[in-house]
Amino acid sequence: MKALATIFAGALVLAACSQAPESASTGSDTAAEETTRVVNVYSSRHYASDRAIYAAFTEETGIEVNLIEAGGDQLIERVRADGERSPADVLITVDAARLYRADEAGLFAPTDFASMVPGIAEHLIHPDGHWVSLAKRARVIAYARDRVDPSTISNYEDLTAPEWEGRICIRSSGNVYNQSLLAAIIERSGEEAAEAWATGINANMARAPQGGDTDQLRGIAAGECDVAIVNQYYYGSLARSDDAANNAVAEAVGLIFPNQEMGGTHVNVSGAGVAVNAPHPEEAQQLIAFFLGEFGQRAFAELTNEFPVIEGSEYDNPVLEAMLPFVEDDVDMGVLGENNATAQRVFDRVGWP
Amino acid sequence: MIKGSDTAQRPTAALAVAVIAALVCAAPILAVALIALSDGSVDYLVHLAQTRLPTYLWNSFLVGVISALGAGAIGTGLGWLIARTEFPGRKIFSWILILPLAIPAYVAAYAWLDLSQAGGPLNALTFGLFPTVRGSLGAGLMFALVLYPYVYLLARNAFAGQSADAYDAARTLGASPFQAFRSTALPMARPAIAAGMALVVMESLADYGTVSHLGAQTLSIGLIRAWSGAGSLLDAARLSLILVAIALIVFGLERLQRRRMRSHAASGRHRPPQRFRLSRMHGAAALTACLAPLILGMLLPLGRLVWRALHAPVADGLFDAVQHSLLVATISAVIAAILGLSTAYALRSKGFIPVAAARLAGLGYAVPGAVAAVGVIAMLSGIQSVLDPTWRSLTGAVFPILLTGSAAALIFAYLSRFAAAAISPAETALSRVTPNLEGAARTLGSHGFDLLRRVHWPLIAAGVTSAALLVFVEVLKELPATMILRPFNFDTLAVIAHNYASDERLGEAAAPALLIALTALIPMIFVARYLSRNTSGDE
Repeated sequence: MKALATIFAGALVLAACSQAPESASTGSDTAAEETTRVVNVYSSRHYASDRAIYAAFTEETGIEVNLIEAGGDQLIERVRADGERSPADVLITVDAARLYRADEAGLFAPTDFASMVPGIAEHLIHPDGHWVSLAKRARVIAYARDRVDPSTISNYEDLTAPEWEGRICIRSSGNVYNQSLLAAIIERSGEEAAEAWATGINANMARAPQGGDTDQLRGIAAGECDVAIVNQYYYGSLARSDDAANNAVAEAVGLIFPNQEMGGTHVNVSGAGVAVNAPHPEEAQQLIAFFLGEFGQRAFAELTNEFPVIEGSEYDNPVLEAMLPFVEDDVDMGVLGENNATAQRVFDRVGWP
Repeated sequence: MIKGSDTAQRPTAALAVAVIAALVCAAPILAVALIALSDGSVDYLVHLAQTRLPTYLWNSFLVGVISALGAGAIGTGLGWLIARTEFPGRKIFSWILILPLAIPAYVAAYAWLDLSQAGGPLNALTFGLFPTVRGSLGAGLMFALVLYPYVYLLARNAFAGQSADAYDAARTLGASPFQAFRSTALPMARPAIAAGMALVVMESLADYGTVSHLGAQTLSIGLIRAWSGAGSLLDAARLSLILVAIALIVFGLERLQRRRMRSHAASGRHRPPQRFRLSRMHGAAALTACLAPLILGMLLPLGRLVWRALHAPVADGLFDAVQHSLLVATISAVIAAILGLSTAYALRSKGFIPVAAARLAGLGYAVPGAVAAVGVIAMLSGIQSVLDPTWRSLTGAVFPILLTGSAAALIFAYLSRFAAAAISPAETALSRVTPNLEGAARTLGSHGFDLLRRVHWPLIAAGVTSAALLVFVEVLKELPATMILRPFNFDTLAVIAHNYASDERLGEAAAPALLIALTALIPMIFVARYLSRNTSGDE
């Protein structure tokens, strides 16, 4: 028992020595909070780029960032359940469907993002300013350089042809990027055509879905499949990795930005909005503006290989630059969210694992 | 049962705590049930029944059976070797064998898929012969490899604590060691083994990260899809009620087992078993048997992560995360042990209320953490809303956010999920305090606290500290509830590991995953030493 007591006591001392982080987060406005300005962020992004942005933001504005990172659905549920007493100022999601869902739940306060970033494309911003996109990722077709002639593929739809039977790697349909891609196809070609597409891809899989997008790229490099549908930043992450084995995977793989003459390559966004009950709405707007500013856009491009949403943003990332220019599908991001449930049902019907 | 003045009081206090434990564990589930029944539309359920529901159920069945049988076989075999045989290295293995429990199953799955998929080193070294660890079989094996310590801990304590009379009698009558093991020791240890296997099944069925990564289409995948894909928390809650029903069945079977075995265990005289020394060859075999699960469940996956970590930058905030993890895990473990032990005491009266309380408490284990966390949120925010009108009339504002968003909510969620893990071990431990023994102690003038301290505690200490340890490690690994319920800026090791792993950055995920194992290791060394002093008379 003595030993156990020692551990417990040790743990408590350790904990006591650390600054109690919850003391800053109770949301009650104390005297201390008036001198230190804070912004409370609920984010489903958890990348190094974001940490760098928060640090730079605090340095520039003096506003402390309090952060909770969790899955989009869980964050939405927490903000919704907390209602009026929610301390959330900014809600950040990692895909369009969650932005839509959060908006449907009435979690966003209208904000004049349009004048904050006049250059932003119309489909990347909510018409009433409920949310704004922060960064873009494209869902592209990866192919084995040594086995596939890229000129034979121009569209997502091409991969349903019989010649691709047993040659496609793609992850499970539970993944939101696949759901959003199908949601976009539903919008462009209708539910029936989308179901035919999903059926075709499902029939041509080289293996039952396993792992994430990176694992699909590894599948190509290992010769298990010849093509894959992946988000382009996973390729960027492999290509710019310090690990030679990762670089080798990237070298074995080429990327095709599909549907250049048929509606554009599917893109998804990370986006943010000001919470409807935000205790610090002004700081919230400042943070989102910072995300959309020079530093934020550069950090997304350089640290997470995502495309900036602001045209003409400058950054140093040759891998990302080499992917440009391409025609992107300019379907409204809200539509992706609207069609998400339908997409899930189509996946269920065709039995895409 | 001997009825004395202090026995009458003790169950009352224990009963109160047991009821509290049950409420803590069951409240989030009840909240989930309320969400599930809040609307009558069955459109999505019909759709699911026509499409994927049979697949989900079948795969859940597969994963449950494979993980239970795998963990059962490994845990029981190792428990026997450690408790009843002597071979070089036995003492060290007695605690090292618990360590794979510190590896989150999803971390093992990330590493194993990375090792075994096409292009991975295992695949390349065997010219593609080594099968890819994937699907329900792969997931079941992952659970067996990292969860077998549940069975091992309970089985080992049971083997070490049981009387050797029956086994020796069987040997004298000409039974081989294995026959004697199967016909005497195994049946006597069966309640403990079943309790461990029940925990393994529950944890496997409620898991999301592992099955999702390995592409096993289980029910938990289905309910997370209902929520994230179809946007219906309602249907996710309904599907999780199926898991609750399965949990009731599994725990029911375990209880049935326990009841049937009670007659076997009732042995008046206790003669602790002696370890028999294994021959050199058998000793080597035992050594291999101990090493195999360690290599497969811990060293190989962690080794892969270390290899990846060497090629990746070190994650930020690891030191803070260690402190946060230790803090919540320690507090939760202590409270859970108290709840578990009190429930076990209350259960001794076999009254309706304590039995019902223990069953209710067991449910917390059955629901995937993400959904259980929603239950906690719904419940706490419900309480806050109820307080709103009063508060508003007093201060003019809504009730402040004291419950959700504090570390208390997090600890509450941990307890509701894991307190059940403390009940079974505590109960098993307490079964060693026989009425005869208690009667004897009373006759010798020991009562009340003195009786608890001098007679009960030495007998149950091992079981109770094991229970606390299980909860401690569970909390260290816990992810979904931690993600959603934690206060601002409160990263734990599991959160950091997950963030990188889900971003497909295995290298950066490696360091925090290794730290989870190390953090679990430190208390485990203390506890394991303490346990082996207490259970095996090694001194």
